[in-house]
Amino acid sequence: MADANIEFKGSSFTLSILHLKTSNLTNIGADLQAKVAQAPDFFHLLPVVVNVAQFADSVDYQALKTLVEAANFTFVGFTGTVSKAQRQRIRDLGFSFVNTAKQTSAEQVAAQQTNVSTNPEANAAAVANLGFSDKVHQGQIRSGQQVYAKAQNLVIIGSVSAGAEVIADGNIHVYGSLRGRAIAGARGHDKAQVYCQKLEAELVSINGHYWLSESMTELWGEAAYLQLTDSELTAAKLS
Amino acid sequence: MARIIVVTSGKGGVGKTTSSAAIGLGLALKGHKVVLIDFDIGLRNLDLIMGCERRVVYDFVNVINGEASLNQALIKDKRVSSLSILPASQTRDKDALTKESVGKVLDELSQSYDYIICDSPAGIEAGAMMALYFADEAIVTTNPEVSSVRDSDRILGMLASRSRRAEQGLEPIKEHLLLTRYSPKRVAEGEMLSVEDVEDILSIPLLGVIPESQAVLKASNAGEPVILDTESDAGQAYQDVIERLLGETVDFRFLVAEKKGIFSRMFGG
Repeated sequence: MADANIEFKGSSFTLSILHLKTSNLTNIGADLQAKVAQAPDFFHLLPVVVNVAQFADSVDYQALKTLVEAANFTFVGFTGTVSKAQRQRIRDLGFSFVNTAKQTSAEQVAAQQTNVSTNPEANAAAVANLGFSDKVHQGQIRSGQQVYAKAQNLVIIGSVSAGAEVIADGNIHVYGSLRGRAIAGARGHDKAQVYCQKLEAELVSINGHYWLSESMTELWGEAAYLQLTDSELTAAKLS
Repeated sequence: MARIIVVTSGKGGVGKTTSSAAIGLGLALKGHKVVLIDFDIGLRNLDLIMGCERRVVYDFVNVINGEASLNQALIKDKRVSSLSILPASQTRDKDALTKESVGKVLDELSQSYDYIICDSPAGIEAGAMMALYFADEAIVTTNPEVSSVRDSDRILGMLASRSRRAEQGLEPIKEHLLLTRYSPKRVAEGEMLSVEDVEDILSIPLLGVIPESQAVLKASNAGEPVILDTESDAGQAYQDVIERLLGETVDFRFLVAEKKGIFSRMFGG
């Protein structure tokens, strides 16, 4: 039996795509190094796909790969809208060429919009949250600890202590007291929300708009959620 | 195998060494074989509290460096024969300890003792990390005030992420909350966090509440751990801590301010 030990399953991953604005390899290399120097931990071994749509077929693919790897990224392959011949040449050189799923997912979103058109606001939120899965943290997050849900919602079953920091690109749910900092929609997402069972936060930020505890006096100690309404943070009681 | 218990706090001056001494002696008085280790290399204090500072010949760092055997460095307590103290070095610093060498010493002690009590230095640097690394249980010593509670919270995070048990994916360290310098009167006046406040923030099981007491300072200066002062409220509170550590259920005492009766008021009791 060929499938006794192995199994193939489809899944989607978040990959970063490196877009190139020049074909000058020296400049590309210098910019890559400078970018990595800004946040070495963040970029370390980050898988990247290089978009070569802007290039003539004469580009040195091997040199591009070497540049990316020299900056401590994990090279995955090439992508972009290119001619069949160019794609074949890339594959002949032994590199993988990957197609983005953008085309299909855009179609899915359009389909959803036509299906659920009764409530435009809820519809927009559904679209914005499309693709966010949940990262679940069990237990209390202590002072000095930091939890980041990259391209995910963050669910905490426990409290967030004063001096702790929870960050998510999506929503944040705290099933306990929120005493530390909560930063939702960290990479630009104005529909992100923060929910907690007891609001005693040092700071809550959504898509860059933030409140310090002094702005939360009205709902202090209550079960509450915060969201952005017309670029202003607003809070409301849960239930 | 011995139970390795670290007495830690993050913040300094909250009563780690006082509590280590009292708990170590209390367990030994119950007939267990106990060794107290002072991890505060460079600020040797435990031997003073235990009243054996004049009997220190070799220390923990000597043992680590192979300059003395464990038996040469261990000081037998004069009051209880089943209690030994491994003093810190006063002249070295905390970099003298490595995980391998400390692990070896603890392994050796584990063979012949029931309890190893590690008195942690303050802070969250290498010295404190070393004291908690091998622990099976932790007694988090906290004063009822916000900065101490915040630092204890930080240490609890470290216990859950930086210890041997965390690194090897074993059962997590068992955490106990020990509230020290508690003054029910000041809690009633709203000047101090209450037991409930601290429990709410840290959410770990309460092991004991030691009331603020003159007896503690007196005991420290005399080199007689306060648990020996059975008349004092602090001494009795530590007795309760020992019972709970040994698995007994004991009601918490000294949580409410004693109302002075008419007689004690008149006669200044």
